[in-house]
Amino acid sequence: MSTPPVSPLVTMEGVDKHFGKFVAVKGLNLTIDKGEFVAIMGTSGCGKTTTLRMLAGLEQPTAGTIRIAGKLMNDVRPHERDTPMVWQSLALFPFLNARENVEFGLKMRNQQAEVRRKKALEWLDRLGVSEFAERNVETLSGGQRQRVALARSLVTEPQLLLLDEPLSALDAHLVIRMQSVLTKLQRELGITFVYVTHSQSEAFAMADRVIIMSNGEIAQTGIPRDIYREPANRFVAEFVGRNNIISGDVAKAKGKKIEINSQIGIFKFNANRPAVPTVGKAVTFVIAADLVEVTRTKPKADNVVECTLISEEFIGSMVTLFLETADGTEFKVQLQERELAKLDHNSGGKFYLSWQAESAHLLPSEKSI
Amino acid sequence: MQIDHAQNNAPTARRMDLFALTWRMPIIVWQVLFFVGPLLFMVAMSFFLVKNYVMQETFVFDNWSKMFSRGYFRDSYFYTLFLATLSTISASLLAFPASFALAFKVSDSTRRWALFLLIIPFFTSYLVRIFSWYVILAESGVINGMLSTIGLGPYTMLNTKFGTVVGYMTLTLPLVVVLQTFSLANIDRNLVQAAHNLGCSPWRTVYTVIVPLAKTGLIVAALFCFILSFGDFVSPYYLGGSKPPTLPILIIDTTKSGQQWPRAAVIAVVMMATLITIAFAAITLAYRKRTSR
Repeated sequence: MSTPPVSPLVTMEGVDKHFGKFVAVKGLNLTIDKGEFVAIMGTSGCGKTTTLRMLAGLEQPTAGTIRIAGKLMNDVRPHERDTPMVWQSLALFPFLNARENVEFGLKMRNQQAEVRRKKALEWLDRLGVSEFAERNVETLSGGQRQRVALARSLVTEPQLLLLDEPLSALDAHLVIRMQSVLTKLQRELGITFVYVTHSQSEAFAMADRVIIMSNGEIAQTGIPRDIYREPANRFVAEFVGRNNIISGDVAKAKGKKIEINSQIGIFKFNANRPAVPTVGKAVTFVIAADLVEVTRTKPKADNVVECTLISEEFIGSMVTLFLETADGTEFKVQLQERELAKLDHNSGGKFYLSWQAESAHLLPSEKSI
Repeated sequence: MQIDHAQNNAPTARRMDLFALTWRMPIIVWQVLFFVGPLLFMVAMSFFLVKNYVMQETFVFDNWSKMFSRGYFRDSYFYTLFLATLSTISASLLAFPASFALAFKVSDSTRRWALFLLIIPFFTSYLVRIFSWYVILAESGVINGMLSTIGLGPYTMLNTKFGTVVGYMTLTLPLVVVLQTFSLANIDRNLVQAAHNLGCSPWRTVYTVIVPLAKTGLIVAALFCFILSFGDFVSPYYLGGSKPPTLPILIIDTTKSGQQWPRAAVIAVVMMATLITIAFAAITLAYRKRTSR
């Protein structure tokens, strides 16, 4: 699926944004390629929406430079840009009908009424809502309004589309539907999408590249698989997915194989990166919850921990078990629901968690942000 | 849920209605006694006759035919309509930039203070405020005094249309600013930013997005201004010099000359009908929802 190298469409260098004393974004360096689908993800207040609004010109950076297609954009006002945004609230104009909403951007570009109408109807048709063209937008359903809002943003055929949590107001089944609409559109049009969300499932399902933000800084950027399997730091490891995190000091190091002394015992890990930590160094490993085995009898494995069950969580066919060691350290294990029956988990007693040395991922640094 | 409750417990619901009705009664009684009653009496009176300065309870169309055949009534009607419209347009246009600034450009505390200051004029009597204009607008008044220092004037501003409209706006302008500010402040800022985002310049956004969004409040503000101006007696009398007379002045004149209360009633009924028509049209326009075209 990888395309030949393309020139970056968006370049942000050393971008800061302050609101009074509050620092919303600090030292942001980011390039986005043409035709890329980038998701910016993080908790509320992490600076993801501010970053998006700076791309739209709705906020001006306090420091740093923003370039779009090579042009310096710092002082370009919102209406002089071609960076349409799909709003969380959709922000459809209630005094215009669906077609007139879609025509709005074309009208502002002084296109003729005939042309406007034709293009607007084409886009409404493409998004499957042409039958509602003359309807008052307030009478449309959430999903229909969503499609009208998308048509309104895309009708001017921009290079860059900004999306600010556009699916957060929709029902779960509509979210899945709209995700496929969005990815299909993006692939067909070759437009760059920058998609801001707090939802991991949305980001991972759609984006070519995910950017995790925390406290105004980028915590990690990479393809969804790497973010999930190889978190760059403790924040990402805790924020993304269900991970078990073990910290300790290196006791032995033989090639890639190392042993660490932690609060809850000695564990064997394979250092999955070139720089192998030396003896005595503090390190942190991450073991994804789905790579941990759970049994009722003590297994033969590289690492075994004895636990009691605290609680469980069902999401469809997947179950997450929350367990605890004698000293209170929490572990998470993910398994299929059908495997759960074999465990006889409701009878209490001891559980053994085990994982192989190579299942663990060594965090590159202990930088905590 | 609530409907079920009401049906299942009908006696309780009826008792509740009676309780609520008791509290609603005073305003209903007041309106019937002092608004609907006099209004009906006024309509009836427009068919009475005055003979030898004594009113007789008859049912004749003399007053209506006399008033409608008089040129001065028609002139006065259109003159009043014109002045009230002029006042409404001037007040709405003058108020808008101020309301816009209060709604979008200033901090919340500045807006609160400004709204408080806009209410202060209502602390003093309207009549007193009108008289204070004499000092400002007279031939030897403040404005002409200042203009004379740069070699202009004196200009006649009292006893003119200008004076009348200034008087009307003394009454209405603060109210129009307050009502406009409320309607503009309630606009969803995302819609304004969305317009910018779609290539609409800030100036163009004012009339393509902000005015349509604030339409209801802007029309209601204008309607208040029109009603207050149309029925005002003080301003055209003291600042307009009652020449030519507006309808409220005509009512006074008619009652004074030969106790013609029935003819004054005709004028009043015509004024009421006009205001009701305009108010109804304005409210319809203000709340009209977009329908498919």
